[in-house]
Amino acid sequence: EHDKKPSRSQEASQRRILDCATRQRRLNRQLDALEKDNFQDDPHANLPQLVKRLPQFDDNNESSKKRKKTRGDHFKLRFRKTFKHFWKSSVSEGPNYLTACAPPSKLPQRHFCAVCGFPSNYTCVSCGARYCCVKCLGTHQETR
Amino acid sequence: MMTTLVLDNGAYTAKIGYSHDKVSVIPNCQFRSKTARLKTFTANQLDEIKDPSGLFYILPYQKGYLVNWDVQRNVWDHLFGKEMFKVDFADTSIVITEPYFNFSSIQESMNEILFEEYQFHAALRINAGSLSAHKYFQENSSELCCIVVDSGYSFTHIVPYCRGKKMKDGICRINVGGKLLTNHLKEIISYRQLHVMDETHVINQVKEDVCYVSQDFYKDMEIAKLKGEENTVMLDYVLPDFSTIKKGFCKPREEMNFSGKYKTGEQILRLTNERYAVPETLFHPSDIGIQEMGIPEAIVNSVQNLPGEMQPHFFKNIVLTGGNSLLPGFRDRVFKDVRSLTPTDFEVSVVLPANPICYSWEGGKLLSENPDFDEMVITRDDYEENGHYICEEKFDI
Repeated sequence: EHDKKPSRSQEASQRRILDCATRQRRLNRQLDALEKDNFQDDPHANLPQLVKRLPQFDDNNESSKKRKKTRGDHFKLRFRKTFKHFWKSSVSEGPNYLTACAPPSKLPQRHFCAVCGFPSNYTCVSCGARYCCVKCLGTHQETR
Repeated sequence: MMTTLVLDNGAYTAKIGYSHDKVSVIPNCQFRSKTARLKTFTANQLDEIKDPSGLFYILPYQKGYLVNWDVQRNVWDHLFGKEMFKVDFADTSIVITEPYFNFSSIQESMNEILFEEYQFHAALRINAGSLSAHKYFQENSSELCCIVVDSGYSFTHIVPYCRGKKMKDGICRINVGGKLLTNHLKEIISYRQLHVMDETHVINQVKEDVCYVSQDFYKDMEIAKLKGEENTVMLDYVLPDFSTIKKGFCKPREEMNFSGKYKTGEQILRLTNERYAVPETLFHPSDIGIQEMGIPEAIVNSVQNLPGEMQPHFFKNIVLTGGNSLLPGFRDRVFKDVRSLTPTDFEVSVVLPANPICYSWEGGKLLSENPDFDEMVITRDDYEENGHYICEEKFDI
């Protein structure tokens, strides 16, 4: 008897309505995706690691090439930071990176169909995406 | 002999050349290809890749700021080295650009790399927009103010300059650039017709070939809905296969098949509202959920925060630079929108230079010929004596 849920609640659970926070998270995820350098994985990612070079006799010699290499590693370590490290650590007085960002527009929000891109008048009840006609709503529900 | 190397170090392309010579536009990144295993291609070695489908990018910049120094050093080693510019560091000064509000740790690494690693004779670090403004004031010597709109790969900056000085309070950044436009186009095409998420390189070319800025957005929407030949927005783009078709192209209108499929086997993208809806993001970022002003509104907002007596001078000297300003219709639309947002007694003039990508490089070239140039740079001796401090003091950055 536990397997069988009342049909009504099942329907309701299928058509889950996303709350504002979830919708915002979804939007943020979409915007983050627009920042990505690549969608695919690095084609070299699956290559076997090259066999580590065995120590050589002249490794102790301070050849100029070798010196340059260690310098590079030093730079790599010291400056291996992501973007987030920067603006968190460098909020100064006066105009700065954060204050320079364009303020929100004073013009009204415009809405476009998530499927075909034309102006839309309707909002999907479940997820808040926009659609313009029954046909696009169908596509939206199938592909969401 | 002393020479000056001008390097407008962009997040997507480096604009580089000696001040006595011409400029080259070279990818400022590394690539990996699906076909050439085990090899990483640097900068203009992109041309060696015969099949750039699924091209993988390794970029030194993140959100417009230099964070990946090992990639940047690989690119610079290549550019400065014997294959390209054969830089004789002891006798060369460098003019190099950096973004607005650059972070001090990035600036310090830059100093160290230029003076300690490469050992340039002297260096000048400056914002690309300052070089553009310098060029504009040189060419329009009667003007007192200008506002530089630099719409590049990572973002768009709007920066007022008065008599050669940037006005920090008016600087405005819109987080929309060419990278976002290409990625957005990639997503739309992948959702509506063909999976192209891995094809940044190809779709970037599609963007450059078909996208334009609408002059009447809702009218274009109506046209794009029409069926058949009446739909003058609709366009068929033949994708490259990198064997017989090396480069994608738009199908000539008279060869377009409005009713059915093409009998030829080539792969086609059919584009309608994406052609102008994607670049529209620069004018209405909120269309895709970025709650920021678009370019014209931000220009007006920025100018209105400046002293009143200066405002008319800014509106009649709007200079467009950066790759996005090459979108057809970009200049006219900026003019149209700024015009409609400003009082009629202000004159509005929007200038699109002949080469908006290299405009700041040309400004750097002019600056290096300026009699005051030697006073603006910092020599390696200066740096070794005084360290980062002297750079922070002298560079207006």
